[in-house]
Amino acid sequence: MTEYDVIIVGAGPGGSVSAKFCAEAGLKTVFFERGRKPGEKNASGCGLGPRMWREFPEMMKRLTPDVAPNLRMASCVINHYLNKEMEEIAVEMYYPTASVTYEPAKKFITMNCYRSEFDPWISSLAVEAGAELRTSTLIKDLIKDDKGKTIGVQTDTGEKIFGKIIIGADGVISTVAIRSGLNPRWRPDQITLVPQYDFSAPPDIIDKMFGSDGLFRDAADGTWWGVTFPSAYQVIFGDGFHIGLGAWMGQWTSNPINFLNKLISSRPFQRMVKALNAKPREIQTHLLPWTQEPIKTYTDNVMLVGDAGGFPCPLEAEGVFPAMETGKLAAETAIKCIADGDTSKQGLKLYEEKWRKSSTGIEFSTGGETLQRLWKNLFFSVQSEKNNMEWFIPLYHEIRGGHFDWSEPHIIRMRQILETVRSYIPQAMPFFQKYVIPLISDVIEEDLNLLPLFIKLTEGLRPKKKK
Amino acid sequence: MDIQLEKISEHVGDTGDFIKVDSEKCNGCGQCALVCVANLWLIRKGKAILKDDYTKKCLECAACYSVCDIGAIEFSYPRGGTGVVYLKG
Repeated sequence: MTEYDVIIVGAGPGGSVSAKFCAEAGLKTVFFERGRKPGEKNASGCGLGPRMWREFPEMMKRLTPDVAPNLRMASCVINHYLNKEMEEIAVEMYYPTASVTYEPAKKFITMNCYRSEFDPWISSLAVEAGAELRTSTLIKDLIKDDKGKTIGVQTDTGEKIFGKIIIGADGVISTVAIRSGLNPRWRPDQITLVPQYDFSAPPDIIDKMFGSDGLFRDAADGTWWGVTFPSAYQVIFGDGFHIGLGAWMGQWTSNPINFLNKLISSRPFQRMVKALNAKPREIQTHLLPWTQEPIKTYTDNVMLVGDAGGFPCPLEAEGVFPAMETGKLAAETAIKCIADGDTSKQGLKLYEEKWRKSSTGIEFSTGGETLQRLWKNLFFSVQSEKNNMEWFIPLYHEIRGGHFDWSEPHIIRMRQILETVRSYIPQAMPFFQKYVIPLISDVIEEDLNLLPLFIKLTEGLRPKKKK
Repeated sequence: MDIQLEKISEHVGDTGDFIKVDSEKCNGCGQCALVCVANLWLIRKGKAILKDDYTKKCLECAACYSVCDIGAIEFSYPRGGTGVVYLKG
């Protein structure tokens, strides 16, 4: 019988980082992957945020085109706005702003990398550090002692492996979370379903359009906001792109693929497909935890990291960085608790103390709830009872685009725009009060009610004389 | 744009059965069929049934299991090294 110090279920970004740090500290470490190699079961956006380079500088400088040939820098986000008729009515592009404080965040928003390239690379760092990687192995159950404490795992062939600590890095439907009792089942409002198409496109055309000398310089990340479908993301890699969208379980009124098909069949999207000579290459679908608060993430001898613990950020559900950060914190906890000889839940409480103080934890401490409520009721409101995008998109279009126009003398145009903006106030005001003010209160850390000020301001903007 | 999903999806090995429906519990609500991106569920005589070739087409997202709030669907992943493969995930 082999006994390990640490057993990690999952060889994605969370499991691999845990395995690397545990092995580097001299712990006997094994990590399991159900695919034939890490990354072949995973689908995600997949944009890597600059916080990874800040928190893991030594590791991330080794992520180069040699190991991830289709890595592409995304310096700029492109927002596409579509109306009810699925016609494009606005496009905007944003590079990082002056308030961004550090490199490489000043240079890029994300580094786009296929999971089929990223996961084999990051798991190889753990193997290099001395962790044992077992692929093609599904962990089906946990082994418990007579007091009900987890002491090992069982594979799909019945093999039993024992360990002092078990780290669940096994994703959204986590055997470790379910069998340990930490999370028997997600509520529908805690998980989203995300269908995604991968399209191929010739690298030279991608370069011409989105390369560093391209028409849209280093644009490698796009969002598509429409009235009739949940907000979609587009992530551009070296030889293709992903287009996907998601919404919470229980909110779908029709098969999720229908919404995605409606978007990719739209004329604006088809124009891009044609310009890039893009072809559908792969269909991928996954569940993604998207919660206002992570679940309980530790119990006797067990910790949960990444998606298994509900750690994707509450606003955009970015999951790779939180997985890596919580993976590292779980490893630090394991190292200390094994040294101290206390892997009980009292000992492992340290893990939660650590993640609450981390960059990942700050996302949830203040603002997580208000940000997510705003997001959920605006760009993802398509399936909720009130489709706020129906007024938001034309209102935004009017404010941002209304003055690029020579149809009337400018002062007349400005009054037309103002009147149109005012016509949306009955819909915008309750939304503003319910979702925006609580968020501003969280940002400035003070309860406030800006509504009277806002109403006064808009009343005051009425032209005083009849036209 | 008409895309046939089975043409852009790769599966390997013999997965064995990994989704089971308890037809006693199933109330035929159809939520599993509604959310299945791969369109692998049918509702027959008020019960959800899986298409025969689901193991060759399932994308392993577990949406059916997650959406079934009466717990009629049991989901475990295919045996190690088999099932869907994402080459560009």
